[in-house]
Amino acid sequence: MQLGEPNEFSWIINLAFFAFIIIFSLYGAKFQMWQWLKQIETGLHELKRMFIESRQTAIDTFKQYGKSEEEVAKDLDRWMDYFTIMPVDLDPAGILKRLDHLLDESRDRYQEFVAEVAPEATGGIDQNLENTLEVTQVLGLIFRVVRHFYLLGKKTGSQIMIMQIQMQMPDLLRLAKAYFDALGAIAEGKPIGDGIGPLVVTKFAREYGGTPDNYNHEISRDVGYYKVETEGRTVYALRATGPGGTVGKPGFAVKHLVDKFGDKVTRIITIDAALKLEGEELGRVSEGTGAAIGDLGPEKYAMEQTATERGIGIEAIVIKEDEAAAVGVMDKRILDAVPEVIERIKTSILKRTKPGDSVILAGIGNTIGIGL
Amino acid sequence: MGIAGKLLGLVFAVSGFLILWWGMGTNDALSLLYSFIGMFVMAMGFALLTSGRQQKEEKPPPPTVTEIRCSSCDFKEIRDFQKGDYVLKAVEATCPKCQGAMTIEGVYMVREDTEDKDRI
Repeated sequence: MQLGEPNEFSWIINLAFFAFIIIFSLYGAKFQMWQWLKQIETGLHELKRMFIESRQTAIDTFKQYGKSEEEVAKDLDRWMDYFTIMPVDLDPAGILKRLDHLLDESRDRYQEFVAEVAPEATGGIDQNLENTLEVTQVLGLIFRVVRHFYLLGKKTGSQIMIMQIQMQMPDLLRLAKAYFDALGAIAEGKPIGDGIGPLVVTKFAREYGGTPDNYNHEISRDVGYYKVETEGRTVYALRATGPGGTVGKPGFAVKHLVDKFGDKVTRIITIDAALKLEGEELGRVSEGTGAAIGDLGPEKYAMEQTATERGIGIEAIVIKEDEAAAVGVMDKRILDAVPEVIERIKTSILKRTKPGDSVILAGIGNTIGIGL
Repeated sequence: MGIAGKLLGLVFAVSGFLILWWGMGTNDALSLLYSFIGMFVMAMGFALLTSGRQQKEEKPPPPTVTEIRCSSCDFKEIRDFQKGDYVLKAVEATCPKCQGAMTIEGVYMVREDTEDKDRI
């Protein structure tokens, strides 16, 4: 007898075949859900590990500045789910002003917290600690949100909830890993990829005589500027004040500078890191029109509004980076882009402004590890 | 899983295939059983062959280095990052070549480029 021919065992095969069809048509989705839940669980363990380790790094960093490990741990845990409620958008009029106010308030609370938990941290270290805290919070938030949907999906048996998390998991893990890898760098005050904007601006200013001594502090919160002369034009090169980690309020700095120096300003050039598309070269320089700034809205609005009201040309030069490079220690290829960006700035100034004009050059980004 | 495990897997896979082949060709009443055993042994062989395929070990991140340059000549020094270093910081040491002032021009990492297969 050969395989396939009926014999005394054929009924077992037939039974097994029909059982297989019935079980999979009735419970196939359940099996798949179980598989998805297992995959989410694996990712969740990884997210939890990253969060716990980053919390410990934050504790180890904070405890160097005046408080015991127990006190720091207790305070950090209290702060981990600190939140900012976005303003109501049912009546959008004035929403950016309200959002700006809330963000200022939130920044004040962060500063207050760091001053409490690390009373001996000064001179920019307090800003680095704020960044460390923010990264730990982000990792905690990702973990808690994924865990929420995992447990809720499990509880309700909602296939769509589980499926969405399972499908987004690789991206969430990639994002979490980028922040996790960056935490050590931020805690130690190393420059990150996002700091390329302020770095370019400072290197440009230094070429034309800008020094830490002639840097004008606080045109807006944590932002200052160098006033330099190039090819008969006056350039106000502004950036957040480092080398502590801050992005400041560069949008409002542009507005204040234009208000202060009036009609002479004929061009605004923004320099920032931009997310690259997969396949694009890291550190590639691109240029375009508009304000290159990735805030929640108020800063970008301030720049655009100022430029529009006064009819000032506004352009952007960006350096392409992925998330990991933007929040991680600055890559050599990003640093190598600086001369090209400076060349493009010079070209733009020469081509699009006249001698006697004023130009605002705004370096957008986190100034951690970038000196004046 | 070493080479011995792989060889064992290969032996299992080949034996399983032969048992399956024989089970499918024979007129024996237990041909079905032989076929299943063949499939089982073959599956075990493949499992041994593919198991222990080590996941790409994560390489430790490259070291962060500090690049110091002389403001007057072309002297350049690259050393490991030290706490307190930041870009554009004036360092206390003078240039060994011309005794000029030196500045930290970069703090960076040299990451590996993506593999060529990803280049389109």
